[in-house]
Amino acid sequence: MSDSAALLSAQRVTYRYPGASSDALRDVSLEIRPGAFHAVLGPNGSGKTTLLRVALGLVAPSEGIADIAGRPAPAWSRRELAQVVGVVAQREDNLFPQRVRETVSLGRYSHLSLWGAEQPADRAAVTQALERCDALSLEGRWIWTLSGGEYQRVRLARALAQEPRLLVLDEPTASLDVRHEMQLFELVRALVDRHGLSVLMITHHVNLAARFADRALLLADGRTAAEGAPGSVLTREMVERVFAWPVAIEPFDGRPQMIPLRQPKESA
Amino acid sequence: MRRWLGLVALVVVALATAVLLGPAHVPLGELASSDIVRTLRVPRAILALLVGGSLAVAGASLQALVRNPLADPFLLGLSGGAGLGAVLAIALRLSGPWALPLAAFAGALGAMALVYRLGLAGGGGRGAQLDPRVLLLAGVAVGAFAGAITTAIVSLAEATDLRNAFLWLWGGLSGASWQTVLVVAVYIPVPLVVLYAAARPLDLLALGEEPATHLGADVEPLKRRVYVAASLLTAVAVAVSGVIGFVGLIVPHIARLVWGHRHRALFPAAFLGGGALLLFADTAARVTVAPRELPVGIVTALVGVPLFALLLRRWAGGVTRP
Amino acid sequence: MRRLLLASLFAVACRPTADRPSAQPPVHRIVSLAPSSTELLFALGAGSQVVGRTTWCRYPPAALQVPDVGDGLNPNIEAIAARQPDLVVLYRSPMNETAAAQLRRLGIASVTLPQDRLEDIASAARELGRRTGREAAGDSIASAIEALLGKAPPAAIARLAFVVWDNPPMVIGAGSYLDQLATLAAGSNVFHDLGAASATVSIETIAARNPDVILVLSDSTALPPYSRRPEWRAIRAVREGRFIMLPADLFGRPSPTAPTAVAVLRRALEGAARR
Repeated sequence: MSDSAALLSAQRVTYRYPGASSDALRDVSLEIRPGAFHAVLGPNGSGKTTLLRVALGLVAPSEGIADIAGRPAPAWSRRELAQVVGVVAQREDNLFPQRVRETVSLGRYSHLSLWGAEQPADRAAVTQALERCDALSLEGRWIWTLSGGEYQRVRLARALAQEPRLLVLDEPTASLDVRHEMQLFELVRALVDRHGLSVLMITHHVNLAARFADRALLLADGRTAAEGAPGSVLTREMVERVFAWPVAIEPFDGRPQMIPLRQPKESA
Repeated sequence: MRRWLGLVALVVVALATAVLLGPAHVPLGELASSDIVRTLRVPRAILALLVGGSLAVAGASLQALVRNPLADPFLLGLSGGAGLGAVLAIALRLSGPWALPLAAFAGALGAMALVYRLGLAGGGGRGAQLDPRVLLLAGVAVGAFAGAITTAIVSLAEATDLRNAFLWLWGGLSGASWQTVLVVAVYIPVPLVVLYAAARPLDLLALGEEPATHLGADVEPLKRRVYVAASLLTAVAVAVSGVIGFVGLIVPHIARLVWGHRHRALFPAAFLGGGALLLFADTAARVTVAPRELPVGIVTALVGVPLFALLLRRWAGGVTRP
Repeated sequence: MRRLLLASLFAVACRPTADRPSAQPPVHRIVSLAPSSTELLFALGAGSQVVGRTTWCRYPPAALQVPDVGDGLNPNIEAIAARQPDLVVLYRSPMNETAAAQLRRLGIASVTLPQDRLEDIASAARELGRRTGREAAGDSIASAIEALLGKAPPAAIARLAFVVWDNPPMVIGAGSYLDQLATLAAGSNVFHDLGAASATVSIETIAARNPDVILVLSDSTALPPYSRRPEWRAIRAVREGRFIMLPADLFGRPSPTAPTAVAVLRRALEGAARR
């Protein structure tokens, strides 16, 4: 595997869902560099999850190229890819009761041989993943007894158990309260800083993305609205255009924070 | 480890009772030389083990595939197809001792192919994908359709032979012979191995198709392999022993209560458990109202359901407390 | 014939029910909804008065000329009514009670007769004899059967089993006329202890009870297909090919020809016992 600069590289990709009347993505480029925290932002329907699918080779773009670690996305088998990219999807089912350790060990699948048993190295990877997510104390719990925040940490641990170079998170804080949200962002930031992981996070939380991410990609209607450091992407003009709502941008901690304004009452 | 030893011991006891007990009285000393034991009881016991085990593994894998704990090997239209095949064989006066089982098998495969085709909801831009929900609905529909045709043929037919074909379908293990055992024993290892190899990816599938893909599973080929292997196991079971319900539905659940949901442990446990259940049920069917015989499917329900309820109570108590 | 075992699968023993009191004019248009009653009507000499029969009524051969009105269980009321009968003869079964009620509503007289065992045929012969104005013939048939049944059965010369289906294995028990014929023919049905007309048993039971000969209802002389299967050959009689084929005309249903059937069966059993 070549050690090229970009882990994920989608170049000018265009994609339309079958039967749709317009493109979900048009001419969008994305480059994930090693050791950085990338955020993908944008209103609902702007193509964020679609971009993820194209970048990971789940669907083929009608135009443009998607590469992963220097190789074209279709050239990767799912097993190979799982050893490099760990994904925490928006939703998952929980059909059967499991304990935390069991569900995290599912992350080792791509490393296990077809007939072989789990090795000590696999168990160690699971333990390490749990530690890094501050979830080791939850090891023996049944997952349906976990709170929302705890459960997200466990899912993150499962992705880390894959020992990936890139971690992808699709709206991981969607239903979490402020404490668990902050904990998750801090956790992700620590993974980047202390362990050299790359992170790609799709999120609605513009302000936290601005505080924690190194680079941001702002999508609107399937097109790239802006890309770069959060400070340059999140300007008042840009945000108001993309989100169609008046905002004020205030700096905090050296990062722009978005404050939505109230609409003036219109006389009938 | 103790659990496995216990299960193996259970199977051994089940085999022993199946061979020792029966409507005919065979003294212990004559067991080895008795024709009845060698020609009738032993092959029947082995067949019960193989068929019960196959049905349980098929049930467990289908429950994982369609992500529905109520899935049963006969939910996918296979029994309807087998019945139709058998009835057609009789109506067309096909002869030979293997005519009926082969026709039932062919009918089951036909149903399997039809349900598979219907289950391929097109889309995704990468070719048709097997949608488990559509699979279930298609299975029920195909089964009902085949059943309706079968009933129509039988009700319009002249020969009692055709009406008795229904009796065969509910028949049970009375047709067991060393030949049957050989055929089944040679046939089932391949689908069983395919399913065992799919055990780990099936664990991933429980999280959903997309999460499973992200964790490294090749989901489309996996679904197809599991569907075909489970259907092949069910088809051979119906062909040699008619429709024996409850084993495929309940044994996986009982096994999960003790072994959990990881399929690497669940499949072997279900195989042994299903074999033991069918052995005990068949022995009971042969012995309790001797000289008459009960249909074994009734006994599996009478035995399996209370057993399941008992284990469920103990388990439900332990898990809901955080 | 096998198909007629539908009748013998129901073991009922009751008195016949009738819709009208005994003193009545003889009937001229009869629809007979069971093979036994059809054969009986012809035996009484009232064959020309039979205007409807079921698909399964095939004896005597003259009956085939009579129009077919469908099934005898759950009969087609419209088809029956179209024949404009003044009497419908029903086989006694819970399923036919609805039919009797429906016929009553249409103003069509019916009589429900049990037709499972030989004594049922005797009483049916008297009943139908009276209804058709042929009491003498009816009494004569009834007496013949009662005489047959009245005699002490001879000592059994062979142990036998009737095997009517192979998967699952089904045998005839004491509730059937076949068992009666066997006893009268100096045979001993190894499944006489089963009260029902027929029952499912395991091959092992048949092997353990070891009948000398297996009786099969069949018009051909070919051995039944299951006789080649290895698991059936655990039964000595199957191994040794000791089968007696019973033709449908004599043995397919309880019939006035019972005395002849008994004689034929006896000769066959004597032949089997000698081998």
